Amino acid sequence: MEFLGNLALGLGVAFTLQNLFYCFLGALLGTLVGVIPGLGVLAAISMLFPLTFHLEPTTALIMLAGIWYGTTYGGSTASILLNLPGTPANAVTCLDGFPMAKQGRGGVALFMTTVASFFGASFGIVLLTLFTPIIADYALRFGSAEYFALMLMGLVASSTISEGSAIKGLASVTIGIVIGLVGMDTQTATVRFAFGNLGLLEGVSLIALAMGVFGVAEIIMSVRRVNAADIDPDSVKLKAIVPTRDDVRRSWFPMLRGASMGSFFGTLPGTGPSIAAFLSYAVEKRVSKTPERFGNGAIEGIMGPESANNAADQTAFIPTLSLGVPGSATMALMLGVLMIHGVAPGPNLISTEPELFWGLIMSFWVGNIILLLLNIPLIGLWVRMLTIPYHLLYPAVLMFICIGAYTSGFSPLNIWMVAGFGALGYAMRIFRFPGAPLLLGFVLGPLMEEHFRRAMVLARGDFAVFFERPISAVIMGITGLVLIWGVWSSENMRGKRRARALAREADRRAPGHSEEEVQEGTN
Amino acid sequence: MYRIDYVDIVGGALLILFGAAVTYTSVTYYPMGTPSRMGPGMFPAGLGVVLAVLGILLAAQALRRPGPRPDVRIFSPLFILGGIAAFAAIIVPFGLIPAIVAILVISSLADLKIRPVSLVISCIGLSLFAPFIFVFLLGLQIPLLRWPF
Repeated sequence: MEFLGNLALGLGVAFTLQNLFYCFLGALLGTLVGVIPGLGVLAAISMLFPLTFHLEPTTALIMLAGIWYGTTYGGSTASILLNLPGTPANAVTCLDGFPMAKQGRGGVALFMTTVASFFGASFGIVLLTLFTPIIADYALRFGSAEYFALMLMGLVASSTISEGSAIKGLASVTIGIVIGLVGMDTQTATVRFAFGNLGLLEGVSLIALAMGVFGVAEIIMSVRRVNAADIDPDSVKLKAIVPTRDDVRRSWFPMLRGASMGSFFGTLPGTGPSIAAFLSYAVEKRVSKTPERFGNGAIEGIMGPESANNAADQTAFIPTLSLGVPGSATMALMLGVLMIHGVAPGPNLISTEPELFWGLIMSFWVGNIILLLLNIPLIGLWVRMLTIPYHLLYPAVLMFICIGAYTSGFSPLNIWMVAGFGALGYAMRIFRFPGAPLLLGFVLGPLMEEHFRRAMVLARGDFAVFFERPISAVIMGITGLVLIWGVWSSENMRGKRRARALAREADRRAPGHSEEEVQEGTN
Repeated sequence: MYRIDYVDIVGGALLILFGAAVTYTSVTYYPMGTPSRMGPGMFPAGLGVVLAVLGILLAAQALRRPGPRPDVRIFSPLFILGGIAAFAAIIVPFGLIPAIVAILVISSLADLKIRPVSLVISCIGLSLFAPFIFVFLLGLQIPLLRWPF
C-alpha cells in the first residue's frame, strides 16, 4: 500500500498548476528542439537551464526532463516528413518513415510513431517506477569503494562504447574531471587550478561549460552549413492518419520488442536511445518474414525504433535517480540541476525527497500524454519552424546563451567562460574528441575524488580495497572488460571502418550534427 | 589526406602538454599527502599522468596511419566568440540592450554575408523580446541601458 501512497503523492505533485505548466512548456520546447536540426538536446537543456534557477528543484527537473523526452517525439516528425532526423536517435526512423510519407501515408506514420513513442515511454516509466526504489534500497549498503567503482565504470563505459576512438573518449573524460576539480577542495579547503581568480573558488560553472562545449561549438560548426529545409509548408498534407487494420496488427510485436530493448539499453552507461533504435531496427528486419519491405515504408521499421528510443529516454533515469550515477551527459546535467539546488543525489534521494522523486516520475506520464496530444495537431507548426533560416536563428540562440550565463550568477565571468569553453569545444571537434564524456567527467569528477579519498582513508591507504570488497571487485572487473573491449573494438580496423560508415550515414542524414552529436545521442 | 595522421599527432601532443602541466601544478603547489591521507594534490597529479599516457598512445597510433585534412575555419569562430566576448564586456557597464545589439551584429558576421534589413529587424525584435522575458516575466534585475561616464 505504501507504493500506492507514493504514486498518489507523485500525482499530487505532478498535478499542481505550476508543475503542469512547466511540464507542458518543457515538452513543447523539447518537441521544437527535436524538430529543428542543428540544435541538439544538450545545447537546448543547457540554454534553458538558467531559467530553472528560480524554480523549485522538482519543477526545474520536470521541465528539463520534458525537454529531454520531448526531443525524441519531435525528432520523429522531421524524420518522417523531411528525411532529416531532428535528433540522432531518430535517424533510423527516416529509413521507413520517409518512404511512407512519400506514399502519402505520412499521417499514418506520424500517428503510429506517436503511439509507439507513448507505448515505449510508458513501458520505460513502469520499469523506472518499479526498479528505482529497489536498486536504491540495495545501494544503501554501498560504501565509498563501491561508489568509486560505479562511477569509474560509468565513465569508462560511456567514453569507450560510443563510436569513435576509445582513447579520445577517455581523454575527454579525464579533461572533464580536471576541470571539475577547479576551485576549493572540499576536504582541505585548498584552492586548486584557480590561478588567483576569486570567481573560480566555487568551481567552474556547469552551465558555462555545457553551453560552451555544446551550444557555442555546435553553432560554430553549423554556421554556413545548415540550410533551412527547402519545403513548402502547405505541401505536408495529412490525408489520413487512421492506420489500417494491417498496420495495427504488424505494430504490436515491434513495439513490445523495441520497448524491451530500449529499456535495457537506456539503463546502461554508454548506450542509450540511438543505439537502442539502431538495434531495434536491425532486429525487426531480421525477424521479419518479409525483410524486403524494409526501406520501402515498412511500418515495423518505424514502430520498433521509436518505441525503443523513448523507452531508453525514460530508463536512463534509473541509475541517475537510484544511484546518483548518470550514464550520459544529459543525465549528468539533470544531476547537476539537483546539486545546484542543494539536493544530494544518491540512494537516499527517494527517501529524503519523496515529492521530488515520485512527482518527477508522475510528471513523465503527464508529459507523455501532453506530447501524445500535442504532436499531431501541431505538425503544421513544426514544419513551418523548419523553414526559419539558420542565419536568423543562431545569433538569437547565442544571445539567449549569453543572457542565461550572465543570470546564473550575475557575473560576466560566466560569459567569458562560455566563450572559453566554446573555443575548447570547437578545438575538440577539430581534433575529433567527443564532448559528452567531458561533461560527464566534469560532473562526476569531484564526487569520484571524494569517494576515492574516503575509501583510501578507510582502507588505510591500501589500493587493494577496490578489489577485495565483493561488489566493488565485480564492478571493477566489468570496468576492466569494458575498457579492453572498447579499446580493442575501436582500434580494430574492422570496427573502425564500421564506425566511419555509421558516422557518415548519420552525418548524411543529420546535417549540422557532427560525428560527436551522433555519439551524444547514443548516450 | 595526409600520409600520417597529423591531426591526432597534434592532439596527442596537446594532451601530453596539458597532462604534464596538470601534474606539475599539482606536485608543485598542492600537498600530496599519503595514500591513507591524501592531500589535494594526489588525485589531480594522477589524472595528469593518465592524460599524458593517453596522449602518447594517441600520437603513437597516429604515426602509423594516414589521416584526413582537418576543416579548420578562422572567421566563423572568431566572429561568434568575439560576439560573446563583446556581450561579456558590455553588459555590466552599458546594460542589456547594447549587449544584445553587439552580440547580434558581431555574431551575424560569422555567416560571412551581411543582411542589413533582417539584422535591424532581429535587433529591434530581440531587444524587446529578451527584456520582456527576463526582466518583465522572470523579474531579473538586469539594467537595460546604462551610461557609465
